[in-house]
Amino acid sequence: MPFFMLILRNLLRQRVRTLLTAFGISLGITTVVALGVVTGSFKATAQQVLRAGGSDFAIGQAGSADLTYSTVTEEQLQAVADYEGVEHATGVLMAVSRLGSNPYFIQLGIDPKDLAYFQVPLVDGRYLAPDGPNEILLGQEAASQLDKKVGDAVELKGRIFQVVGIYRTGDVWEDGGGMLPLATMQEYERKPGLMTLIYVKAKRGADLDALTAQIEEDHPELATLRTLSDYGDVDQGLQLMDAANLAISFLAVFIGGIGVMNTMVMSVMERTREFGILRAVGWRPRRVLQMVLGESILLCLIGAVIGSILAVIFTRLILIFPVVRSFLEPEYTPEVFIRGLVVGVAVALLGALYPAVRAVRLSPIQAIRYE
Amino acid sequence: MNRNRIVIDVQDVVKTYEERRIHALNGATLQIREGEFVAITGPSGCGKSTLLHLIAALDRPDSGRIIVNGVDLAQMRDLSLYRSHQVGLVFQLHNLLPTLSASANVQLPMYEAELSFWERRAKAQRLLEAVGLGRRANTPPTKLSGGERQRVAIARALANDPPILLADEPTGNLDSKAGQMVLDLLRSIQEERGVTLVLVSHDLQIAAGAQRIVRMLDGQVVDEGVAPSATAWEAVEGER
Repeated sequence: MPFFMLILRNLLRQRVRTLLTAFGISLGITTVVALGVVTGSFKATAQQVLRAGGSDFAIGQAGSADLTYSTVTEEQLQAVADYEGVEHATGVLMAVSRLGSNPYFIQLGIDPKDLAYFQVPLVDGRYLAPDGPNEILLGQEAASQLDKKVGDAVELKGRIFQVVGIYRTGDVWEDGGGMLPLATMQEYERKPGLMTLIYVKAKRGADLDALTAQIEEDHPELATLRTLSDYGDVDQGLQLMDAANLAISFLAVFIGGIGVMNTMVMSVMERTREFGILRAVGWRPRRVLQMVLGESILLCLIGAVIGSILAVIFTRLILIFPVVRSFLEPEYTPEVFIRGLVVGVAVALLGALYPAVRAVRLSPIQAIRYE
Repeated sequence: MNRNRIVIDVQDVVKTYEERRIHALNGATLQIREGEFVAITGPSGCGKSTLLHLIAALDRPDSGRIIVNGVDLAQMRDLSLYRSHQVGLVFQLHNLLPTLSASANVQLPMYEAELSFWERRAKAQRLLEAVGLGRRANTPPTKLSGGERQRVAIARALANDPPILLADEPTGNLDSKAGQMVLDLLRSIQEERGVTLVLVSHDLQIAAGAQRIVRMLDGQVVDEGVAPSATAWEAVEGER
């Protein structure tokens, strides 16, 4: 019998206990993997936010705790637009409010003239008219959720807007929201002359590093955003999620480790006599150690596989809520599942260490006589 | 094989338990030659099983020396290697793992030998055939009779071809017919393979089958000699 089969057979002796322990571990792994998927999805969305409209980079207010609190002025917009390497700078005001059944409808206020530079592919209708204060463009996902088409009216912030076009950018946060005239949004958000971000399209061949460094040097109150690490300068949400993810991973390892230790201690105690026999027929302590650790690792890998499957099911299930679908598209990266496996192995090693050492330190003759 | 060579040399061995309150061995001394069949006998509690377990390196003596094939067990760095390759052990209670098949049980010591899975399986099959259980290779011990279990245990003891076979009351839990079969098997293995066989038994009839009988009392070897017939021994015991 191959050594692996011996390990597997030992686990299958107590099927119910093995399954319950694996299921217990899987819940921790589910949390770790699902959180990883959600965090990864938010990061992907954040990346999309930084490159919205086909821009090369975005500019926000340095030190903002949250992106929606970022504030830039029309003077700053003009100052950015005046840089030599800048082809076009588009000021965008962002807001989130209820629309229909969606409490987190994302609105982008944009000057209709800028839509020529901001890449928003229409699938139906037309762009906002320069003199149409009550017009709205809906993302395809939002239109689908609201069951609206071109020509329909939507009520937002107590105003009636007419849907003049439906667009699809492929970015989940944009397609789940809508675009309105900047002046209208500044009015109902009571932010006259203010915007959230400036999207910059650089001239062809421009040195982006030099350009962003120059802007930050000239305007220390602004932060240029090109990468996810830059995103942390204007929004600490992702960092908080990363920290929470790490904390929950440690918690999962600790709680899972206790569960595995309980199972493995019971298993080793029950099989004291068996370990004595194995030592009596010449098994080295290292081989006994391998067997106990192998059982624990296999148990946790089963838990990790079940947990990963549950995490995928869970993250697909939450998409049935339109509100989630409008700003989240699960990202199943290998890193997330590898993290689940690493947590599983860490749980196994933590939980099996004491029972394995106990099994190895048994005197063969005392173990054989153990009742 | 050199029948004059001493393979097991037990020198003044003391073994106590429960903080020296119980003296299991009290200066036991014994020499066993290569290829010899020795029976250690004596009343219950005389220390015969303890002595066997010390020779099997399952435990360590408090004092004294046990030298096997010229090497002091106390100086041996890897007792696991000694247990897997130098001695084969048969217990009174077969001590087979009930969840494994007979073949898998026989293969257990082979994990410490450099054998592939296929080699282990083939060798286990040969050993089971040698003890007359070739057709029961896939049967778990729970579905074997007492005698069959003990034969599987003997096959397991021979797994790594050890030169020394130690049997601790191998027939103690068997009826007379099964016991005789196991004894015959051990004797034939000793003769055919030339192994040194040390058998512990309180049963004089069993001991009488050995080439030499060692009698223990109160943790010491008190008497030894060429085995007489069982009847003669019983007569001696009767006089005592």
